[in-house]
Amino acid sequence: MLKINDLHVSVENTAILKGVNLEVKAGEVHAIMGLNGAGKSTLANTIAGRDDYTVTSGTVDFFGKNIFDLEPHERVGEGLFLGFQYPVEIPGVSNLNFLRTALNSIRKYRGQDDMSAADFMKLIRAKADQLGMAPDMLKRFVNVGFSGGEKKRNEMVQMAVLDPKFAILDETDSGLDIDALKTVAAGINAQRRDDTAILLITHYQRLLNYVQPDVVHVMIGGKIVKSGGKELAAELEEKGYAEVA
Amino acid sequence: MTKQLIEAYASQAESLHGILAGMDDVRTSAMSSFLEQGFPGTKNEEWRYSDMRAFHKKHFELVSGKSGIAIPEPLGDYCARFVFINGRYDEESSDIGQVWKDISIRPLANHFMANESRVDELIKGSDSVSLLNTALMRDGLVLSIPSNVGIGRPIEILHVMDGSDNAAAHVRHVIELGEGSSVSIIERFVGDDSAYWTNSVLQARITENAKLRHIRVQEEGANALHTAKAYVNLGGGSEYICTNVALGGAMSRFDANVRILMDGAQATVNGVALAATGQSHDMHTHVSHLSGNAVSEQVFRTIADSRGTTSFQGKVTVAEDAQRTLANQSFKALIFDKTAQANAKPELEILADDVKCSHGATVGQLDDKAIFYLTSRGIDPETARQMLVSAFVAEALEKVDFDDVKTSLMGRIASWMLERNADKGTGG
Ligand SMILES: Nc1ncnc2c1ncn2[C@@H]1O[C@H](COP(=O)(O)OP(=O)(O)OP(=O)(O)O)[C@@H](O)[C@H]1O
Ligand SMILES: [Mg+2]
Repeated sequence: MLKINDLHVSVENTAILKGVNLEVKAGEVHAIMGLNGAGKSTLANTIAGRDDYTVTSGTVDFFGKNIFDLEPHERVGEGLFLGFQYPVEIPGVSNLNFLRTALNSIRKYRGQDDMSAADFMKLIRAKADQLGMAPDMLKRFVNVGFSGGEKKRNEMVQMAVLDPKFAILDETDSGLDIDALKTVAAGINAQRRDDTAILLITHYQRLLNYVQPDVVHVMIGGKIVKSGGKELAAELEEKGYAEVA
Repeated sequence: MTKQLIEAYASQAESLHGILAGMDDVRTSAMSSFLEQGFPGTKNEEWRYSDMRAFHKKHFELVSGKSGIAIPEPLGDYCARFVFINGRYDEESSDIGQVWKDISIRPLANHFMANESRVDELIKGSDSVSLLNTALMRDGLVLSIPSNVGIGRPIEILHVMDGSDNAAAHVRHVIELGEGSSVSIIERFVGDDSAYWTNSVLQARITENAKLRHIRVQEEGANALHTAKAYVNLGGGSEYICTNVALGGAMSRFDANVRILMDGAQATVNGVALAATGQSHDMHTHVSHLSGNAVSEQVFRTIADSRGTTSFQGKVTVAEDAQRTLANQSFKALIFDKTAQANAKPELEILADDVKCSHGATVGQLDDKAIFYLTSRGIDPETARQMLVSAFVAEALEKVDFDDVKTSLMGRIASWMLERNADKGTGG
């Protein structure tokens, strides 16, 4: 599904990613853990196509295509989703309008007709309900005035509605209370299928108790320095990065 | 001004003598005041953002006749539509509907004919373009809404120009609202590609508890010059709600001059201006609180593309006994690059002590992070920009109460954005 080969990325002429290798197959859940500033978000944003990150070498293959040949919105059409560490506030654009435009843009990319307003409302109400988002928040401007936890929940509602094949969730578990964490974990598990894959970026073992990863990677200094099973996360929590990696 | 220009304008005013009853003396005096000051130069603070160079170079004259230019579709459902072609009322393309049963509609000429003392009620103005409008006006509408009559759908007044490069139209509309009445006016300006000049003045008297909604849509031809003024006087508990949308012409300027004469009135003057390459739109407001317990609101949103300019000068004055006044002003501008310009000059002059006033002015660019967020959800960059621009202007269009009209306006803004993207050929 996604294959990263020796990826080097710099920001403003500073090398951040220094040779990342990673392969995620359909049906798998991978977790990346690592110190602050290790380059985890840089990796996520590079895959999504943020233009202030410069790819200096390496390849990312997404469903057999060179991902860098695709515009950011085209990557989404191919099935990508990025849950942001810091979701953006967009005054004046309602959540509903935003998601409906997004969904229909993706459908258009795939040669499908627009979803009718009635079907869309049914879909989004169901997903918001599953993820414990109050219906009136759908009418509010995107993330404006949302609490940290509400923003993360909103990211999950977006993922559920857009139903991506490959989702990268950048610290979606940070800032969530215990109940919200369980709801979000349930949302992630619902997205976990034979034909989908998920890449979790997290600092905490506690999410991985609810969403059991197939593989755990440790990123330090712009590289994946160690990979293992879910027990690696527990080991990191116990001993810290210095000793494990 | 050159001697040639002076003589040309003076003889224009003279040629109009006898056309509107009782107006000859008014014309003569307005013309001599105009000739004393001429067109404003760049050193005139009130006009520094309006590019008036063309007026110093050539003589604009009244034209007659029409060449059969296509009349555009209305902006939305209307109860009556009055069309002015090259500054003259055109009966053939107008549709007066049934509204004449409820309100009085007269051409300017008949208004004075019925009672010459009405000339005294004409606002002569003191700036050069108002004075010229007074000296050279030939046509316009006089609408009187009787007390307690409410007109639901808007009345569209469409101004069409298909003149030539030195054609001018000086139209004057007079609106009078009886106590407790209400009406909505859409003033719209369109035209061909010639470098003509539209100079329009609308004066409105809104008496006690009456309500005037005033929507202006300036979509003149690409080379046109547009100057316009609204003089509005508000009685007790009355309401004026103006939304000015400027997107056409090479240079446009709109002045709203609103006076709150009695307690408890509400004045809203909002505006949207979109300036493409080489265009400039200038908006001026002067809301004068002469009486208390009144509220004034101003929301302006402007966007300038490469080498486009938008300007806003908003003045609020609160007289000594206009206590418990509430006045808010918000100006936000987007500029698309370094060559685009946005000027803002708020001005507050407050003599009363029990007053709440606020004003804010910001100039910024479209938020790259927001664009990326939208595209990262599958939305293409053109649509993402369009969504952000629509969101940006929305607050200034909030008072357009007619959904179909609002949809038409939003559609124009969306196509303006599409043209910007196409011009750049970047696809984003
Ligand atoms: N736009 C940018 N401009 C300058 N430096 C940047 C930019 N983005 C990232 N960096 C730098 O790149 C490095 C990696 O940042 P990144 O956000 O990828 O870390 P992270 O692993 O996600 O950290 P955290 O766990 O704190 O979220 C940091 O040193 C950061 O300061
Ligand atoms: Mg990060």
